[in-house]
Amino acid sequence: MRRSLSVLAVTLIFATACANDPSAPTTTVTVFAASSLTVAFTQIGHDFETANPGVRVDFNFASSTDLAGQITSEATADVFASASEAAMDTVANEPGVVARADFATNRLVIITPPDNPAHVITLDDLTDPRVQLVIAAEGVPAGDYARQMLHNDGIGFAALANVVSNEPDDASVVAKVASGEADAGIVYLSDVASAGSAVMSIQVPRSVNVTATYPIAVVSGAEQAVLATEFQGWVLGPAGQAVLRARGFAPPPETG
Amino acid sequence: MRRRLPLSIQILAAIGAVVVIVPVLALAMRAPWGRFGTIITSESARAALRVSLEVSLAATVLSVAFGVPLAWVLARAEFRGRSLLRAIVVLPIVLPPVVAGVGLLTALGRRGLIGTWLDRIFGIQLTFTTAGAVVAATFVSMPLVILAAEAGFRGLDERYEQAAAVLGAGPGYTLRRVVLPMTAPQLAAGAVLAWARALGEFGATITFAGNLQGRTQTLPLAVFQHLQTDPSGAIALSLLLVVVSIAVLVAMRDRWITGAQ
Repeated sequence: MRRSLSVLAVTLIFATACANDPSAPTTTVTVFAASSLTVAFTQIGHDFETANPGVRVDFNFASSTDLAGQITSEATADVFASASEAAMDTVANEPGVVARADFATNRLVIITPPDNPAHVITLDDLTDPRVQLVIAAEGVPAGDYARQMLHNDGIGFAALANVVSNEPDDASVVAKVASGEADAGIVYLSDVASAGSAVMSIQVPRSVNVTATYPIAVVSGAEQAVLATEFQGWVLGPAGQAVLRARGFAPPPETG
Repeated sequence: MRRRLPLSIQILAAIGAVVVIVPVLALAMRAPWGRFGTIITSESARAALRVSLEVSLAATVLSVAFGVPLAWVLARAEFRGRSLLRAIVVLPIVLPPVVAGVGLLTALGRRGLIGTWLDRIFGIQLTFTTAGAVVAATFVSMPLVILAAEAGFRGLDERYEQAAAVLGAGPGYTLRRVVLPMTAPQLAAGAVLAWARALGEFGATITFAGNLQGRTQTLPLAVFQHLQTDPSGAIALSLLLVVVSIAVLVAMRDRWITGAQ
């Protein structure tokens, strides 16, 4: 027993020594980001790695609400980029955040399969009982914003009666519409920029549309606090903002 | 004195047990016991329980109806490609459920290989329907019936069938009166495992059938939904699912698994 323990100890020391090998220094910063940021942040992460040799950015993309839940129950995130202020509030409460700042805004659009089988032209067409509508689930930012928009337009009940599925996140809504299973979906403008020609998009009037504001912050007690702050600065800086613009995100709201 | 097992075995066994026990225990400890009754009798929970029972029972019936004959063919018929067929039909056991869902979409979705024709000729759409959830649950649970039934059939001495044939019984009669009764424990174990698997199904269901209360939202999907808005409610629903599953496993152990040996 004693011998096998010492073998184990030696193995562990050896493994640790290898991990700290100075010839291959890699520091990993872990970023939890809203699923609507998947394409933009993957690009930004790649740019950040190129600009900082020896640094790796690991992403966890999911609904902001899920991510906030994971961080609160002690998942190890260095940076949190949320699609809603509410999810960020959850994390700000426990375990706390540092240097919270808004970095982008997003609007909602209606999407249909490219051939638009249910002939959806305007927001009000979503009340047609023949339309199979998919949106993100309640509690998921994209789903809450979509419901708010439908209620703003006064068609909440009629349109929600046509919902055939409450999806885990906006990316799943895009998938259900792009595959032609559903006739229409409500997602972010940035999702359309990523989906390309797989879906057709229909603009929603500003008067009823909802603006999603995206905050980013360093999570309190982050293992890589310095690197996390640098990554946040990169997102807020010109390089990060350029990628976000190209992916359909609008600039953050003016702060006083 | 009884011979003690090596300490290293005991330690590894303890870790193995802890890995399984702790999350279940944590659920029980964190459950909002004060609201437990209210949560599991809420409209959404009752709808989810009803959909779950309907879907899992229908999936079990279909799994047995098609899986047992398929297992019989795999166990007794000689044909080329049998081992390939055997590998393919149990594939859903190792396939990530979300992949199963994507596979079902491409086959049976509104624009899928077969789904297109179902939609155009019969006006049948499986996606976003309870029937779709049943298809998803059947897809993932039927292999468990096939595995258990085939093992049962293979373990059965072929001389019983030969004896029945000599006595003048036709193949159908032999199957009904000799083979099925003698392999009943394995068939029942397969059916119960399939039911448990169907009850817990999440990935293939949400990918193929979607998530709508009262129609495709099963208990696991309701747990996911609650996680978004009411995490402690999600724990209560999870616990309900755990209790149902444990009840089934315990009942099965006593009745069939040990009885079969």
